[in-house]
Amino acid sequence: MSEIGSLSNGVNPVLLIAVPLGLAFAIPLFNLFWKPAAKYIPLVALAFNLVVSLLLLPKVLENPVIVSIGGLRPPFCINLVAGPVGVLFSAIIALVGLLVSVYALDYIHPVRYSQRIDTKLSNWVGLSNGVKEGPTEKYHMLYLLLLTGATGVVLTGDIFNLFVFFEILCISSYALVAYLRDKAGIESAVKYLIQGAVGSSLLLIGIGLLYGLFGTLNMADIAQNIKSVSPISVFVPMVLIITGLGVEAAIFPLNAWLPDAHSSAPSSISAILSGIAIEVGLYAVVRVIFTIFGASSIFLFLALLGILTLLVGEMCAFSQNNIKRMLAYSSIGQIGLILFALAIANSYGVTGGLFQLVSHTLSKALLFLAVGYMIYRAGSMEISALEGMGRKMPLTCLAFTIGAFSLVGLPPFIGFPSKFLVVRAALATKEAYFCVLIGLALLGTVIEGAYFFRVVQVLYFKEEKPNPGRKDAPIAALIPMFIFVALIVVVGVYPKLVTDVLNSAASEILNRLDYIRNVLG
Amino acid sequence: MMSLEILLIIAFGGALLTYLLGKISHKLRDSFAVIISLTLVFIIACLYGKSLEKTFYFGFLGLALVLRLNILSWFFAITIAVVGTLSIIFSLSYIKAREKTDFYFFEMALVNAAMLGIVLAGDLLSFYIFWEIMSWSAFLLISYNKGPALAAGMKYIIMSIVGSIAMLVGMLSLYVSFDTLSISQIASVITSASSGYILFILIAFSIAFGIKNAILPFHTWLPDAHSEAPAPFSAVLSGILIKMGTYGFLLILYVIVGLKLFLGLGSGIFSFHSIFCFLGAVTIIIPTFIAMLQTDAKRLLAWSTVGQAGYIILAIAFGTNLALAGGIFHFFNHALFKALLFLAIGAVEFRTHTRDLDSLGGLAKKMPIVFIATLVGICALIGVPLTNGFVSKWLIYKTLILEGSPFLAFFALVGTWGTILYSYKLVHNVFLGQLPEKYKDLQKSPISMQLPMIVLSLAILLFGILPGIPLKVINAIGISFGFESLNVTLWGITSETGALNTINIFSAVLVAGIIVWILFWIGAKSVSVAQDNSYAAGAYTPKDKYHYTAEFYNPLYRMVKPFLRDVIDEFYYWIASSVRSFADSVRRIYSGDVGYYVMYIILFLALLIFVQLKWKPW
Repeated sequence: MSEIGSLSNGVNPVLLIAVPLGLAFAIPLFNLFWKPAAKYIPLVALAFNLVVSLLLLPKVLENPVIVSIGGLRPPFCINLVAGPVGVLFSAIIALVGLLVSVYALDYIHPVRYSQRIDTKLSNWVGLSNGVKEGPTEKYHMLYLLLLTGATGVVLTGDIFNLFVFFEILCISSYALVAYLRDKAGIESAVKYLIQGAVGSSLLLIGIGLLYGLFGTLNMADIAQNIKSVSPISVFVPMVLIITGLGVEAAIFPLNAWLPDAHSSAPSSISAILSGIAIEVGLYAVVRVIFTIFGASSIFLFLALLGILTLLVGEMCAFSQNNIKRMLAYSSIGQIGLILFALAIANSYGVTGGLFQLVSHTLSKALLFLAVGYMIYRAGSMEISALEGMGRKMPLTCLAFTIGAFSLVGLPPFIGFPSKFLVVRAALATKEAYFCVLIGLALLGTVIEGAYFFRVVQVLYFKEEKPNPGRKDAPIAALIPMFIFVALIVVVGVYPKLVTDVLNSAASEILNRLDYIRNVLG
Repeated sequence: MMSLEILLIIAFGGALLTYLLGKISHKLRDSFAVIISLTLVFIIACLYGKSLEKTFYFGFLGLALVLRLNILSWFFAITIAVVGTLSIIFSLSYIKAREKTDFYFFEMALVNAAMLGIVLAGDLLSFYIFWEIMSWSAFLLISYNKGPALAAGMKYIIMSIVGSIAMLVGMLSLYVSFDTLSISQIASVITSASSGYILFILIAFSIAFGIKNAILPFHTWLPDAHSEAPAPFSAVLSGILIKMGTYGFLLILYVIVGLKLFLGLGSGIFSFHSIFCFLGAVTIIIPTFIAMLQTDAKRLLAWSTVGQAGYIILAIAFGTNLALAGGIFHFFNHALFKALLFLAIGAVEFRTHTRDLDSLGGLAKKMPIVFIATLVGICALIGVPLTNGFVSKWLIYKTLILEGSPFLAFFALVGTWGTILYSYKLVHNVFLGQLPEKYKDLQKSPISMQLPMIVLSLAILLFGILPGIPLKVINAIGISFGFESLNVTLWGITSETGALNTINIFSAVLVAGIIVWILFWIGAKSVSVAQDNSYAAGAYTPKDKYHYTAEFYNPLYRMVKPFLRDVIDEFYYWIASSVRSFADSVRRIYSGDVGYYVMYIILFLALLIFVQLKWKPW
């Protein structure tokens, strides 16, 4: 499949990376002419990406689009592989990114200045009036870079390229975690940076070893030749890469950066980190294990690791009093469940895992967005400070409640069909090992239910001072939140909207030979 | 011709519209809520005797969702609709002065709609979906009262999640084995399964339904939830919501697994059937005695609900046609009289703002209708002839004795004895005796509260005197399960081993009543004393708790109290607190020291390489 062939079909997947990357670096330029341009550019770029991804989607369901850069055929060039998985992910990234950037229109200015200038958030009145507009182009630029990196990771067919995009993603997220420039933010960004750097080095060493073994960096090419080398010399780069990527994918015990980073970043960034960044990390792990190494022998171990991650995450979330930390730990739990489902490695399992991933992305992004304004209003991240919020910010709390119910897996929200598929996949293996593990996973669900329902009670049913005065989040925040709510409900009621795509994505992940054939022709 | 999905659309859409209308006008909302629920009653009544099955939704993960109406689901549906309607009418004035009334009516309507969905579901997936919607909306309503209701709500929802997980596992295991979730299809293929597998399925579903139906040892959420919920919702909870567990048991035991398989599991006293009967019997006894110890009127009723649910389970698990008829009839009766009692106590609480049995008293004259309603309710609860409770209990006792289960019969009879004691305590401590000073100027209940109570009382008496009306339907349910038909007449059951004829009883009671009335009329010499006149021999009379309703049955308490610690509840609390402290120690993994964090990464890598070098598992 040649470059010309893919271009003649109309849209080129390269645009998914080139356009946002170009626009990101153009932000300072535009800023010279028109100050507010910075905050609208991510909007434009991501809307573009969403449209392109959705246009590509029906096409790649039939046949993956392979784009070679530099005029040579794979494996001799850098190439993009826009298969169902890649385009599915890039669509999700663009969708969530777009909605969060709408949210950030009103959110990011006041949040920064109020926290820096006046730590007493409770004095904060009015979302945009009374707050000095400041230069936020760095935020928007980094934000767009982060999402470009994520898109690059999921689309690339070259393992070194994967590393590069991964670094773009990580470095922009280090900076964004520290964006508020408060003590907590900087401290956790440094911790994140240290662990991320260790992970990246391991990843790079692993890639270097692979290059030494095979003399190629093309993933399909490596995959094709993986059996030609002695198992142990493949094993070392494999664990190095898994460990390196596992740091970003938040797999236990490599995820210690996550609760700090996710809770001290601005909420819009937390939504992206929890909803996109760790999922992309997980994608990379899955791509490496399933496609490159075809390492079916470690699936059982991965399933175990997934359950361990899940239980640790849920238990830590259970004992939190800080709402954002609670959500961050809950992300760890969800990642564990996704990893477990993917490691079942049959078509139900992978479909279920991907579905769980989509449902987690939507629900958790929604939760962080809702919480962003709730902690504003409350002036504190303590759960107890949110008492009676249901009357102060009814719509925001409604959005939060729906997100929480969805994560717990209650119908008619999106979390239910995904959990349904995962449990079904585990039982369908009919192996005692998976049945026991899914039992443990469901135990984690009980804990998850306990802490989410507790928060819902605090929002709506705790005693409060009379007549609190109603003041909801601004409209620019409510619109994205309710688009998330609509997606959660609609897909929850009509899962067929996504299952077709997920099914073919699952078969791409499971059939590595098809992948190799598609890329190498 | 009304189809089932329109029924559900009206139910769910009505709930949503109720909420939206509340934003415009409260009056509009109230009348709309009542009209919608009456419409549902009407539609369901019209569907009597019909048998429908319709796929209403294709493609939920490749599964068709089916709605199905048969005589069993009709009977449950009509009970839900009637009790639901009456509680909504009762709520009109009960909830008026509270906050979040729109939310309240929305949730009430939603719970009712979800329950209708449960009984009309023709496949396990839609059953599960409606079941979950019911569970979370009930959670929101239980928490509505704030304060201690929050803990009750948490306890409820956690146990409920555990139950639904058990159900999910059972359901998906059926799906994986038989590749279908349609109830009728599973029922036709399950006969080929091994008995071990059936036992597993039964246990999984029994956990789910047992938690909802509050069988020992899964009952601990119920006393808290029932007593803390708003009174009209307690009526729904106790009357119909927990009966969804009963419905589930009927579904899994008789419709899916089937009578033969179910009775054939295990042998002797270790069979599934007899263990289940035993659990039912224990569920009768212990909660009944705990109920006697309560001083909170609603808590007393809540424990009583656990006990009465035990009768239903015992009868259903017993598995003969007479027992099943007794069990289903008792479900129906319990829905009526327990809803009535909760509404009555709610009406008392509405005026007096307390449910404390030690500080109430003498309200009979202040609230005559409520008093009479309560009287009818407890008569039915005890099983006094001419109330519906008598007939269902008669059926249950008769079965137990006929089939030679003296122990179970003994349990059931002792349970009734306990029921008499706590029922009397309830009616006495609230309505009889002296009237405390502070309630001197108490007003009557509003008409919208009285009306549901009157309707329920009349229904109790009607079905007590003419039990044939519901028994005819129940008999049809039994036949659909493959039992022999019973000889049901309008006033009872005729059979060769002893007939029940309520008309004879009615005449006898009437004659006896007339004689007693004549005797009293001849020999009457009563002295009228003001109700708040406490005689203390001229000494100072302490105002609070100085009248003889306080510390009722005190000697009995002292006797039984040591035996009635709720060990199971303590055990669950122990689990919860150990999970909490364990979670706290797990949290210490994330110590905050980045040096450790990097060490975790390196150790993880080293461990993987070490394991591979040493054992080569991968």
